[in-house]
Amino acid sequence: MVVAYSEFEAAQAANLVKIEYEPLSVINSLTDALRPNAPLIHDGLAFYSHVVEEIYPELGTNIAHRVKVRKGDMEQGWAKSEVVVEIQVSLPHSDHAAIETRSALVEIQQDGRVIVNSSSQGPFAVKKLMSTLFRLDMGKIIVKTGLVGGSFGAKTTAYPELLAYLASKAVGGRPVKITNAREEDLISSPGHIGMEATIKFGASKEGKIIAAEMLYLIDSGAYTDTSPTMAKAIAAACTGPYNIPYVTCDSLSVYTNRPYSTAFRGFGHGELTFAIERAVDKLAATFGVDPLELRVRNAIAPGDSSPTQEKLNVSSLGNVIECIQKIKTLIKWDNGRIIKSRKNLVRAKGLGCFWKTSSSPVNAISGAILMMNQDGTINLNCGVVELGQGTKTVLAQIAAEALQMEVDKIHVAMEVNTELCPEHWKTVASKSTYMAGSAILEAANELKREIKSIGAIVLRCPPEDLDVGDSRVYLRYDPSFYVEFKDIAHGYRYPNGNSIGGQIMGRGSYIMTRLSTLDQNTGYGKSGPGWVVGCQAVEVELDTRDYTYKIVRAATVLDVGKALNPKNVRCILRSGMAMGLSLASREALVFDNQGVVQNPQFRTYKMMRFGEQPEYLVELVETSQIDAPYGQRGVGEHGLIGMAAALANALSAATGVELNQLPLTPETIWKAVTGGSQ
Amino acid sequence: MILIDFEYYKPDTVQAAVELYQQLTIQAKQPLFYSGGTEIITLGRVGKLYTGAVIDIKGIPECNVLEIKNDQLIMGAGVSLTRLAEANLFPLLTESAGRIADHTSRGKITLGGNICGNFIYREAVLALLASDSIVTIASENGCRTVPIMEAFYERLQLAAGELLVQVATDATYLSLPHRGVKKTRMDRIGYPLVSMAALRINNRLQVAFSGVCAFPFRSLKLEHELNNDGSHETRIANALQHFPAPIVDDVEGTSAYRKFVLKNTLEDTLTHFEGV
Repeated sequence: MVVAYSEFEAAQAANLVKIEYEPLSVINSLTDALRPNAPLIHDGLAFYSHVVEEIYPELGTNIAHRVKVRKGDMEQGWAKSEVVVEIQVSLPHSDHAAIETRSALVEIQQDGRVIVNSSSQGPFAVKKLMSTLFRLDMGKIIVKTGLVGGSFGAKTTAYPELLAYLASKAVGGRPVKITNAREEDLISSPGHIGMEATIKFGASKEGKIIAAEMLYLIDSGAYTDTSPTMAKAIAAACTGPYNIPYVTCDSLSVYTNRPYSTAFRGFGHGELTFAIERAVDKLAATFGVDPLELRVRNAIAPGDSSPTQEKLNVSSLGNVIECIQKIKTLIKWDNGRIIKSRKNLVRAKGLGCFWKTSSSPVNAISGAILMMNQDGTINLNCGVVELGQGTKTVLAQIAAEALQMEVDKIHVAMEVNTELCPEHWKTVASKSTYMAGSAILEAANELKREIKSIGAIVLRCPPEDLDVGDSRVYLRYDPSFYVEFKDIAHGYRYPNGNSIGGQIMGRGSYIMTRLSTLDQNTGYGKSGPGWVVGCQAVEVELDTRDYTYKIVRAATVLDVGKALNPKNVRCILRSGMAMGLSLASREALVFDNQGVVQNPQFRTYKMMRFGEQPEYLVELVETSQIDAPYGQRGVGEHGLIGMAAALANALSAATGVELNQLPLTPETIWKAVTGGSQ
Repeated sequence: MILIDFEYYKPDTVQAAVELYQQLTIQAKQPLFYSGGTEIITLGRVGKLYTGAVIDIKGIPECNVLEIKNDQLIMGAGVSLTRLAEANLFPLLTESAGRIADHTSRGKITLGGNICGNFIYREAVLALLASDSIVTIASENGCRTVPIMEAFYERLQLAAGELLVQVATDATYLSLPHRGVKKTRMDRIGYPLVSMAALRINNRLQVAFSGVCAFPFRSLKLEHELNNDGSHETRIANALQHFPAPIVDDVEGTSAYRKFVLKNTLEDTLTHFEGV
């Protein structure tokens, strides 16, 4: 690292550094990595310490972690299966491509306090990691995060913060800033996993899937970061939203010499859904059954159990079948799945059903503080980072609803400061509204108790006779007797000057409840507090002569529990669809045979542009999740999850050829159809 | 951030510009003429360009001309692609230059800069090759005009210190039947797999290509085959024999796929001008 007064000087100095590399043999693919005598990228991997206890690296291999799911006796499962289909899919490394590249500014003050300004999804995780690595008191590390310019999982990894700390330390604690150039963000910083999967389904004559054998291989690059947890997430949801009684799944995180990977919107679910949904379509084709009908027949329902044998109920699962039925209408499924629209043009539709739960630590926490201003308005303070998803707005709505007051009177602190804010695990996993919202409800209850206890004195009645609403506390049986918040917010003053009370505050604290780790041999356990289920569809128009295509429309039906902010929910779902379609249709890092990325800039790493967006359709299903604030379910990632599957299914239908590789560029399709000859 | 320090000059005349170039060369400044500057930023920030001094040609009146005069369209080298497209005096040029980079960049990229640039595509030249345009090149000995078909081989052949001042296109070419095609890997914006500008004059096609080989070109032999009698298929097959260099194989597309796209493009072009 070079530290200088200006970026220009630092760059000049860095140019003077001569590095001699000794090239090692390159592991450039999962196949290379898993070959019996493959060179080992980390020969000491079994002895590494890891953040999560339940990681099982395999000594003498490049396997960093293996999660096994074993449900039911497979021999019986295959015996009962009359039809068997098998597919292999692969999808490439790609990038989050957030507009704001990663950035951190660290200063070590004279008193030993370390001030970290960080663009991070997990300021508290940064604090913990720095404390562990640099043996610093947690209270001396102050991480501040303002509005983050997009992340999509990218900024869950703490590392510019660590480098900036070391750099600051080297120059006597002066502030040092590290900001990635785009190329660095694309290559050196962790991106999106690559994956290969093999799915084998056994089904009865009636088209019920009986048995599933699955192998998911995550190409995590040269370091693991969160890829073992992604392997776990994939394993926990490995069957997709289908009730399959006999399941065996191995989900592996594998080292290669490619850029390392971290969480990406969907956290492995978009990837597993692509594999599963291609297999379901193949099964439907084998039976000659409508793929939508086959999905309805196999949809998982309350009373069934998950692959990790979690017993599911209406609240924890939601309604898969209703999502499928609604998408049928929304995408006009019955108007024809494959239509020849004009000469050389075919219109086709494809589906992607999915489910997702979170894979947080079993003891992930969140907290909230509500503090009254003198005018009776309320400041809301919590540790959730705002990165464009709008959680802070929803949290203000939750507080306003709980206190029956106008949302404009709730002021949410935008910056997260680990010295001042209650801890929130990380702003990830579409779980911030659930976790922080639960904490806010508890805080609101405490605030109401305080309001009522002062109110009871002022209004000379028992607190039980009081209710709270419209920024006042009033007598339940005669609301004409009331005190306004502004008169008690910072204590109540009697006419003669005597005062009682003090600033009214409420605190709430939440911890994930009744989650368990997954058993090493069977996967038995529970990884998240509730599922989100949905069904998506894509309609394409393909030119059968040159394999170019247009995405005409994309649709999502999601069981959102309760849409607390319906406009925002729809907006987030559309944004997820856009990202998913971009990823599925064109995004990929391209490597040469030495593993060097060939397209490290946006001029060659392409994303879908605004003018290329299709029509987006969104419908919601609302099956309340009882333990969640007002019944809501997470929606942040879900618009993306089924898009690759739906696009691949639509294009496979249009071409009549199995398209099992992403991205689905016209060249990919041309190769699949023609074998790549001219 | 551009990783080098350099001096900036903005002369008012062609004469001053070329003289400045000589002086700066003597001072070992390795000067560059520039107008839009997008490549200086792009290559400068990744350390792939060195210069000690840049000479901005946007202050030179001749370089900013865009007008029809004496039955010729005169285009200054410093005219931006956006200005060319908005004036739309030469529709084929609008098509072949109208999808270079993105809208923001086209506001900066200039005709001269694109033709003389370092990237292999230089798509603005395609319409000029197809229309037998004429370039005006300045050196310390004064200006000369040369048919672009003579001056452009893989790139505009400029000696050190020579400056492209203007391009002139005969007005009869401006309204001929034409077709501009750009095929990319996937996106509307992106480098071409095949970029082509074609126009028809006296029942003959004149066609230039970019993206197919490592440089833009117009091949008279290739044109001859396309203009022969015979089936589209035969003519295309024969034309493909005359590509001047190997078909590009890169992240945008393999050479086999490019060839597939190229054939389709030629087929569509013949159909467009002649019917099936």
